[in-house]
Amino acid sequence: MNIDPVGFIPPGQDIAATAGLADAAGLGANGVARGDFASWIAREIGSVNEKIASADTQLQRLATGEVENLHQVMIGLEEAKVSFQLMVQVRNKLLEAYQDILRMQV
Amino acid sequence: MPGPTEVTTALLLKALDATALRHQAIASNIANVNSVDYRPLSVNFEDQLGFARAALASGSGTLTPADVAGIRPTLEQGPPPAPGTAAVMLDMEMVKLSQNTLQYQALLKGITHRAGLMSIAINEGKR
Amino acid sequence: MDLFAAFAISGSGMSVEKTRLDVTALNIANMHSTRAGSGQLYQPLTVISQAKAGSFATAFSQAQNAALGAQVAEVRATLAAPRLVYEPGHPDADAKGMVAYPGVNVVNEMVTMISATRAYEANVAALNAARIMATRALEIGGN
Repeated sequence: MNIDPVGFIPPGQDIAATAGLADAAGLGANGVARGDFASWIAREIGSVNEKIASADTQLQRLATGEVENLHQVMIGLEEAKVSFQLMVQVRNKLLEAYQDILRMQV
Repeated sequence: MPGPTEVTTALLLKALDATALRHQAIASNIANVNSVDYRPLSVNFEDQLGFARAALASGSGTLTPADVAGIRPTLEQGPPPAPGTAAVMLDMEMVKLSQNTLQYQALLKGITHRAGLMSIAINEGKR
Repeated sequence: MDLFAAFAISGSGMSVEKTRLDVTALNIANMHSTRAGSGQLYQPLTVISQAKAGSFATAFSQAQNAALGAQVAEVRATLAAPRLVYEPGHPDADAKGMVAYPGVNVVNEMVTMISATRAYEANVAALNAARIMATRALEIGGN
């Protein structure tokens, strides 16, 4: 039996090629730009921070007595709180995943 | 990451003080609706914040705790009523009462909100 | 505390209006009394109320505002002229047959009664508002 070394593509190489193609397309396995995950997280954190800061400003205007819509202020507060909670839960899940990976046997 | 600032808490507390004082002024006006020679009371607070409101409206200024510390809500007496007119208009006082009570509750919600954010961060999202 | 002082202020307003209402009821009850206990004709009473005699200079500072509120200055007899009615058969008729009734103006008394009731209700509303505010403040530590 003669195995043709040229025709035989090892599985690892195949995946590497696929990964190379994927990198070129800018997409990872889960559809999110793999290399940009860090910047995506940073953007989301920035947006939560903005919501909190804007709720803060609206509270200041409430204190100085120049608020036209009380319901806007209340909705802003609620939005900030819920976004913050969401971010904290995402952070918890990421930590859990990270610890799972650490526990993996090599 | 700049989060909730000290100046907001200080401002909210000052506003709460002013609102409680204003309630007393309104209650005194209502109690004296039939008194003779009564001078209606009011509270001076928002006027002291003129520069602060301008800064907030333009979106550029930031207040410092020192600015806020210098503001003090004070009771003021209005002029004595002209003879033959009532010193206190009961309906206006009732409107002011409703408004003031609502303002107080809104400010309290604001303070609770900020404390709530801290508590979420401290408890890492677990209730 | 600020809000407890508010209770006292509203309470003083309620006392004043209650007194005013009592005096009005007394006037109306004595509309047809021809002789007071002392032998003199009943004079309608009126309530003069004023702000509490605190010093507003000290009340300007936040700490000392126990001086706010209302109080009854005086319950004074008015100088209303008696109503003379021709009733020759009445035991209290004078030589001409005229009986003197107290000069109680019923319309005035009704107006005073309504106004005192309205002011009383307003004071109760102020008291309830203070109570709501204090309750909400107590809930700061909860959810």
